[in-house]
Amino acid sequence: MVLLENDSFLTELTRLFQKCRTSGSVAITLKKYDGRTKPVPRKGHPVNYEPADNKCLLRASDGKKKISTVVSLQHHAYSNLLRAHMDGLKKKDKKSKSKKTKATQ
Amino acid sequence: MPYYQTWEEFARAAEQLYLTAPVKVRVVLKYRHCDGNLRIKVTDDAVCLQYKTDQAQDVKKIEKLHGKLMRLMVSKESGAMETD
Repeated sequence: MVLLENDSFLTELTRLFQKCRTSGSVAITLKKYDGRTKPVPRKGHPVNYEPADNKCLLRASDGKKKISTVVSLQHHAYSNLLRAHMDGLKKKDKKSKSKKTKATQ
Repeated sequence: MPYYQTWEEFARAAEQLYLTAPVKVRVVLKYRHCDGNLRIKVTDDAVCLQYKTDQAQDVKKIEKLHGKLMRLMVSKESGAMETD
């Protein structure tokens, strides 16, 4: 699992989406992050980490490559990226046929 | 595992689930361009809510909900003040 900066994460995520256009899926996971850097210790060991309330973990994978980043500010770039790449779905228009030439029903 | 039939129900349930257990809840998006579909799952490992779609109009809704949940996670619990 590669931990990246927010910008590198966006770049790599773009690459993942491009790679998976012909086959495969892109899985993105979002979870609140409390700032732990070590695993939860066994009983008796003190937990010393900085509790953080304003971060979340963003992970992405294409089944083989995994990337992740910690987000502490809302990034508009990320939302735009998602919207831009998830464009292969059917449009509601009944008249025109689906633009996907490769996929067959 | 139940797939919701309407987006409104799913969005409402997902937001509610997050507000009851913010630390446990995770959101998973799975996009397949070759098949032309998108799935979203919101779970706290006890309750699992899922929605799938192949419609372009749903992408915007899903992405908005995703962004909304991200904003909730990134803002301080007590107030809605932006950090930095």
